[in-house]
Amino acid sequence: MKKILSGNLFFTLILIALLALVPYIAPPFYVYLTLTSLAYIPVVIGFNILFGYTGLLSFGHGLFLALGMYTTAFLMRNYTMENLEVLILASALSAFIVGLGVGYICVKYTRIYFALLTLAFGMVFYTLLIKFTPITGGDEGLRITFKPLLLGLDFRYLPHLDFLFQPYYYYVLGIVIILTVLAYIIVSSHFGLSLKAIKENSEKAEALGINIKRFRLYSFVISAIYTSIGGALLAHITSHVTPIFSYWTTSGEIVFMTLLGGFTNFFGPIIGVFVYTLLRDFIMSTIIYWRILFGAALLLIIIFVPGGISEGLIRIYKHFKGA
Amino acid sequence: MALLEPSTITILVLTGIFSSSIIFLISAGLQIVFGIQRILNLTVGSFYAIGAYVGITFINFFLKMGFSVVYGLLFLILAGLSLSFLGPTIERGVLNFVYKKEEAFQLLATFGLVLIFEDMIKLIWGSYPQISDFGILTYGEFRFLDTSFPVYYFLVIISAFLIAFLLEFFIKKTRQGKKMRSVADDIEMSEGLGVKVRNIYILSFTIGTVLGTLAGALIIPVTAAVLGMGIEAIVLAFAVVVIAGLGSMRGALLASLIVGLLQAFITFIFPELTTFVIYLIVIAVLLIKPTGLMGKEI
Amino acid sequence: MGLLEVLEVTKYYGDFKALDNVDLKINRDERISIIGPNGAGKTTLLNLISGLLKPTRGKIILEGKNITNMSPSERCKLGIVKSFQIPSYFPNLTTLDNLKVALISSLGKSKNFLKSYQQDEEINNLSERALEVFGLYERRNFLAKDLPHGDKKLLDVASAFALRPKLILLDEPTSGVSIKEKRDLMGTIMSALKEMEISSLILVEHDMDIVFNYSSRVVVLHNGKILDDSSPELVKANKEVASVMFGS
Ligand SMILES: Nc1ncnc2c1ncn2[C@@H]1O[C@H](COP(=O)(O)OP(=O)(O)OP(=O)(O)O)[C@@H](O)[C@H]1O
Ligand SMILES: [Mg+2]
Repeated sequence: MKKILSGNLFFTLILIALLALVPYIAPPFYVYLTLTSLAYIPVVIGFNILFGYTGLLSFGHGLFLALGMYTTAFLMRNYTMENLEVLILASALSAFIVGLGVGYICVKYTRIYFALLTLAFGMVFYTLLIKFTPITGGDEGLRITFKPLLLGLDFRYLPHLDFLFQPYYYYVLGIVIILTVLAYIIVSSHFGLSLKAIKENSEKAEALGINIKRFRLYSFVISAIYTSIGGALLAHITSHVTPIFSYWTTSGEIVFMTLLGGFTNFFGPIIGVFVYTLLRDFIMSTIIYWRILFGAALLLIIIFVPGGISEGLIRIYKHFKGA
Repeated sequence: MALLEPSTITILVLTGIFSSSIIFLISAGLQIVFGIQRILNLTVGSFYAIGAYVGITFINFFLKMGFSVVYGLLFLILAGLSLSFLGPTIERGVLNFVYKKEEAFQLLATFGLVLIFEDMIKLIWGSYPQISDFGILTYGEFRFLDTSFPVYYFLVIISAFLIAFLLEFFIKKTRQGKKMRSVADDIEMSEGLGVKVRNIYILSFTIGTVLGTLAGALIIPVTAAVLGMGIEAIVLAFAVVVIAGLGSMRGALLASLIVGLLQAFITFIFPELTTFVIYLIVIAVLLIKPTGLMGKEI
Repeated sequence: MGLLEVLEVTKYYGDFKALDNVDLKINRDERISIIGPNGAGKTTLLNLISGLLKPTRGKIILEGKNITNMSPSERCKLGIVKSFQIPSYFPNLTTLDNLKVALISSLGKSKNFLKSYQQDEEINNLSERALEVFGLYERRNFLAKDLPHGDKKLLDVASAFALRPKLILLDEPTSGVSIKEKRDLMGTIMSALKEMEISSLILVEHDMDIVFNYSSRVVVLHNGKILDDSSPELVKANKEVASVMFGS
């Protein structure tokens, strides 16, 4: 037990060190992709708390991604709010409120009905974003025209990319590490075990005194907050927020990243984010027909390795250890 | 504010019923597969898109060959039917492998197929909208009060009703249809009674496919075939089946009418709110009666 | 003193009447067995008491409190817990973690978001003790789905016991295991009852030897109605019961 833990810790530290080095060793384009991936980590972790740990497939998580992005853009434009910490907290707060409302309704259902209901909410939000042009900028979305203060520090003198690749990169890395550790603590907690129990057998969980609806709602809200914070981080990277982030194809992408990396493992979705972001850009720039590849990959994963890359790696590892 | 004059209302009602018939075909495709296989088959949107593209290719080809435009409707129906081979191919090639998986994975597998078809269409037909040489007024116009409608609308509405009727007849009266119902009710029992579930699965999926491709082929005199039309269609059809109740055919008929008419009227009054209103209704239905207007108990 | 009262309870499934105006009073420290042929309504009655089902008519009272409309989890907190006829457990959790879920819930710790459940000594000790009582300790790291059938039943019962309920409902805890194993299983359960100080029990069981050995009172259900309700000796002597139960 201890050995596994320290093994995990060891790899995690190496990974963090590598990520910290990326701005120095990688070409700018890859720094950009890595940064984007980092921002997506809270998104998939949040999604997977709901899917992998609670057993609820949301097909509308784009809603919360867009919520974080729009909250950020809106506050910056209309209230010239500059502190990134405040923006992140505001995104978390809006996700808390919206997540509580939407979640309250959605967790009345499970399985396919839950998936459909979340999809419907995502679509409603999407049309709201398009329609309420005065607030949301409609089809065009909103542009973020200035840089936020990081921990109160002003980096506005830096050119945009230098800002992104240096101070902002490390800021995001720091936040993501904190959020990941926190999520790990949550899923390993008493609460986390209770969630797994609900996923495995909700009838038994209820018979053991767990209030399954309430717990599903907690999980939903935590999930929404994580995803929304991811959106808040992403907004400064894209500097342009558009309704597409709430469209069901974006929600589908979130599902895809998670499955690709493996929803059965805590770190699986994180692997999925990096592989997806890097591959998508590589593939999209070389092949126009990348959807065929992704569709096929999705099918192959579902049919042959439902646990995704992380399960594949574990299988390979066991194979060689056994041989 | 544009007032709803009687003539406007008639136009809206008629175009509404026309889109209802197309929406009905697509959602019937969803329903039949859900009823039998218990899979929400998002691919039906792609079948709709493929039906439209192939329909255009078909009809343009025949018109170039010198066939009279009068046979247009026939060619379109032919185009839709000719795509039935997609049914067994996809069912055996893909769905067959996910029947035993969790619901979430089944849904995602059909999502994967949607992605694949989206690009196949792009690969074959390119990114530009495709237009048919078969004009909507080929069959003339029908005058009513002080407005006029293409006769083609009526033909499609009639075809959709005919198909609905044939489906009902097939499911209720024929041997194959009875087997289908027994599989929908209780797979193990039907297997015990000697029904080959495999064949029923192929059959129902193929019917679902053809309903989609037919809908796509029939719409092309009215609109161009564009990328993403499959996804738009599935979003609407999905709304219909939720309102209808998953698996219910009659519910789909009723809900298609509701959605089609609403779409026509809202598009006229508040153009951008259409999807919004339809999805609000979806949410309301799920909240008030999660099994839909005519669904069975969960 | 009265612990639980089932008052004029009727339950329909669609048009089918599974329970018909059933009245039942259970006192503290009683060990009741419910017997009856297949389909008599035994599982239905237990599900109504545990809250998995709601009665069509009638009331269920626990210690003077009307609990008819409470959810299973609320009743569980008040001290009614049920094990399932078809063993119910968390298939992809280990045997040990299965028990921990129950303990965490019963100790009111399930809203602990930040504390690692693995490092909770109280939970660790209690769950290991409970597994020892049920003879499952050796297999504590097996996934529940990999346990043999008899152990799955024990695990289900063990997780119910772990909640230390006031009243435990056991639905055929020995069904599906061999006759020989049945006795062992029942012995284990009975010694666990004593060990864990659970005194009130409703047992649904088909094996008459077990019924007559282990209960202080026997209730006979037939076609959704109570046919007899008295001591094991009197029920044994009741001709009507014999004909219903054994068709003789
Ligand atoms: N969910 C349900 N829907 C419809 N009918 C049901 C349902 N559950 C049980 N029944 C019917 O109600 C009757 C009583 O069922 P119940 O499970 O309570 O019987 P039981 O006494 O536990 O039988 P067994 O000894 O086989 O476990 C049976 O006829 C059964 O078919
Ligand atoms: Mg029973």
